[in-house]
Amino acid sequence: MSNEKDHLIKMINQIARNNSSAGDDSAVADVVAGHIKKFWSRRMKQQLFELVEQRSERLYPAARMAGERLRSAQVN
Amino acid sequence: MLQHFDPNKDYGTPASLSEKQVTLEIDGIEITVPEGTSVMRAAALADINIPKLCATDNLDAFGSCRLCAVQIEGRRGLPASCTTPAEQGMKVWTQNDKLAKLRRNIMELYISDHPLDCLTCPANGNCELQDMAGAVGLREVRYGFDGENHLDAPKDTSNPYFTFDASKCIVCSRCVRACSDVQGTFALTIDGRGFDSRVVAGQDENFLDSECVSCGACVQACPTATLMENAVIEMGQPEHSVVTTCAYCGVGCSFKAEMKGDKLVRMVPYKGGDANHGHACVKGRFAFGYATHKDRIRAPMIRDTIDQPWKEVSWEEAIGFAARRLKEIQAKYGRESIGGITSSRCTNEETYLVQKLIRAAFGNNNTDTCARVCHSPTGYGLKQTLGESAGTQTFDSVMKADCVLVIGANPTDAHPVFGSLLRRRLREGAQLIVADPRHIDLLDTPHLGDAMHLPLRPGSNVALVNALAHVVVTEGLEDRDFIAARCDDGAYAKWRAFIADARHAPEAVASITGVAAEQIRAAARAYAKAPNAAIYYGLGVTEHSQGSTTVMGIANLALATGNIGREGVGVNPLRGQNNVQGSCDMGSFPHELPGYQHVADPVARGRFEAAWGVTLDDEPGLRIPNMFDAAIAGQFKAMYVQGEDIAQSDPNTQHVEQALRSLECLIVQDIFLNETAKFAHVLLPGSTFLEKNGTFTNAERRINRVRKVMPPVAGKEDWEVTVALANALGYPMAYRHPSEIMDEIASLTPSFAGVSYEKLEQHGSLQWPCNAEHPEGTPIMHVDSFPIGKAQFALTEFVPTDERASRRFPLLLTTGRILSQYNVGAQTRRTANQAWHDEDVLEIHPHDAEERGINDGDWLGISSRAGQTVLRARISERMQPGVVYTTFHHPGSGANVITTDNSDWATNCPEYKVTAVQVEKVTQPSQWQQNFQANHQRQQKFLRDAQPESR
Repeated sequence: MSNEKDHLIKMINQIARNNSSAGDDSAVADVVAGHIKKFWSRRMKQQLFELVEQRSERLYPAARMAGERLRSAQVN
Repeated sequence: MLQHFDPNKDYGTPASLSEKQVTLEIDGIEITVPEGTSVMRAAALADINIPKLCATDNLDAFGSCRLCAVQIEGRRGLPASCTTPAEQGMKVWTQNDKLAKLRRNIMELYISDHPLDCLTCPANGNCELQDMAGAVGLREVRYGFDGENHLDAPKDTSNPYFTFDASKCIVCSRCVRACSDVQGTFALTIDGRGFDSRVVAGQDENFLDSECVSCGACVQACPTATLMENAVIEMGQPEHSVVTTCAYCGVGCSFKAEMKGDKLVRMVPYKGGDANHGHACVKGRFAFGYATHKDRIRAPMIRDTIDQPWKEVSWEEAIGFAARRLKEIQAKYGRESIGGITSSRCTNEETYLVQKLIRAAFGNNNTDTCARVCHSPTGYGLKQTLGESAGTQTFDSVMKADCVLVIGANPTDAHPVFGSLLRRRLREGAQLIVADPRHIDLLDTPHLGDAMHLPLRPGSNVALVNALAHVVVTEGLEDRDFIAARCDDGAYAKWRAFIADARHAPEAVASITGVAAEQIRAAARAYAKAPNAAIYYGLGVTEHSQGSTTVMGIANLALATGNIGREGVGVNPLRGQNNVQGSCDMGSFPHELPGYQHVADPVARGRFEAAWGVTLDDEPGLRIPNMFDAAIAGQFKAMYVQGEDIAQSDPNTQHVEQALRSLECLIVQDIFLNETAKFAHVLLPGSTFLEKNGTFTNAERRINRVRKVMPPVAGKEDWEVTVALANALGYPMAYRHPSEIMDEIASLTPSFAGVSYEKLEQHGSLQWPCNAEHPEGTPIMHVDSFPIGKAQFALTEFVPTDERASRRFPLLLTTGRILSQYNVGAQTRRTANQAWHDEDVLEIHPHDAEERGINDGDWLGISSRAGQTVLRARISERMQPGVVYTTFHHPGSGANVITTDNSDWATNCPEYKVTAVQVEKVTQPSQWQQNFQANHQRQQKFLRDAQPESR
């Protein structure tokens, strides 16, 4: 896996951990998705979608859920 | 009748802040002044100038020279006007025969022990003693010059910037009082009594060896040539001056650049500057020699690859080469394959233009700024909680604070002029709480009352700030009225339940923070119970994996205690570089247009699209670390870097170098061949702050003018270079002056809507928001409301950093700055400031040193998960055991070779403050340092070969 994707996984998991007080995984995923939508570049979002597609085990559940929601919002 | 206040005039004693007025009569003229004003100042305000020597208006009256004696109706004798307060109905005469005789007698005594070398004296033409001799009509010295005197007193030339010539000293104590009252260092004193009285530094040491910090306040205060700038001794008195703004730290001091033609003789802090009120530090006042240093890049240069010599070319050729390369790369790799970095050292106008170039001409949002690596968490955290990405106060506000909480900041080193103001307030009795792993100098403030030091472990800020808030909530110390009126109910309720949980109690986090629970409780009580409590913080807060969380925690604390919206309180980020605030305001971040307007906001974006005549990308671009990752991945191919040295300042140097080597075109615009430029294909000469017009915005949101005092060495101001590059790329820019750029900024940025150069000329400076609602700016923010309506408490869960001490890396390294050097040192290393700090060292606690058999001065190998470097040891009890410290002012030190790419979860601000390391004695430089030296020599040769005549 590329250094770039390693960093990306670390970043999104960090965002999830730092917002764990938001509630359950679904609530945390909402915060994570909002953060990524607001701050991540198109290319980084695309890489996240690839990780979601690959069902990367390295993504925290809330992080993966956030990626899925963003991806589905983009598709729709 | 009072005259218009003139900041260039010395009114003798400080202004009174009383609101009560008194009316008196001086020489038959009726004058009304605030109660507490001295007779001397009252007279000066009416343009009646009473002779004086020991008085000056930035020092309290002293009454030693007696030259300012006046006659007052109904009073016995001839009282000193400097120490006599004006009273209602008082009648004063400043001139009569009796006063004239007294003043002449005083001057005779002074001159009988003073060298009569006026014509060859460096103060000739600007000497208060000489002026007073003239004012009192001195014509003879009846005592002669053969008696006992001090004319053979030796000179102290130890300080590289000024000379102390004791033979010219009149022992007026102005230097001593400036050192204590203005600077707060107390390095000078009067030794001896009567005729033997003399000024001494430290324990009768020379200036350089004493605790003098070379701020120059004594030099400025001296009424003779006793303390004189070496530049004036060498060049003579300046003949004109221009008011401008310092380009060092975020205090943004105003200076009079005193000139001889286009040569800068000296920088004199400007009394009319609202950030500094006539004070300065060793950097701002003295360290400007880099502007004319031989290392300046004086012509554009290009090369095809970074292992080739530079080729000096015309501006047209260099700009054409750069534009062609950028276009080719975009054609080959796509629109998003290029980007750029704006500089917090450049002006608002220049920064605005660079992000405009990237958004409008590059066609993407791949713009970022060096605030990424310092205060990006401030922007994020304060916007989330208070609704605006900026500090809330003026610097002067601290003078109304009763309790000052300093977290992760070292103001006496990094923001020295504010540090002096803070020390003044602490001497007046304000309570100090310092939360810092190190014992900072502020804790050693002379005449400081009770101070608390919370020596927390690196990486535990959030746990500490949460614990403080826990005490506030659980001990009923909240300001319920403020919370009810100003804060969002729902957010507060959630936060209150969160923070009241026992896991945030001081006792529960003591093992994390390393600070005793009782200390935390005492600090929380002191902060919460003070009538006015203010928080000041720095990079010790932001440069962590939870930097943004700590900023929000700080805002929570201020909101919970009602310490927002008036003088003496607030949340105050101490910005590192001169224009960090401005570069963020100007839309440097990849997700925000100028004025913090999100790129996805169709209304805001539409305004910019209409003004700029292009369609703008509605997705955020890459941040600096994302650019590096994308470059290494082969997806990001070109960068335009203005006034920033990412190769030295950014963490994990080897990763940064790999990224820079991966670029097909790196365009660096800088005043020197900095570390980043060694990887560049195009080197465009930058201009210093002395060579251009523009504005800087300091840490208190104060927009100050930068005025050109000398021509740019390579013929172009930085903004002109960006304009040329935009035009070469086919995106037209046609500005004739930075004022036109500011007009455009004002038209597109709501918080700057009322700002113009004309208005800045009228007001001197303006604090944003400056618009129709606040036409004269906003000194204190959030007085009645927040930009988001109600303030938002944020949930701030403590998450330990991944960077932890281990058996392999048992120590925690934290990095910082010192007084005499500035950031990567590109400027200050090229000045005589090297006298104080010519190498970075590793501070280590005696316990850790002893365990490893380390002695002071030993060479130490420092290893982290990212890399290795070698520094000399300094045994110091400033650090707690288990923590080591260094600075990063010298590139060869490789301090950032060992820092990791761990970063803040919200903003990617690097975690410079926590790196797990091991330290051992070594005998040679690290491999990286050896490679660095080899590459340095090679790149310097490439430069010399390109500029044979100027080397």
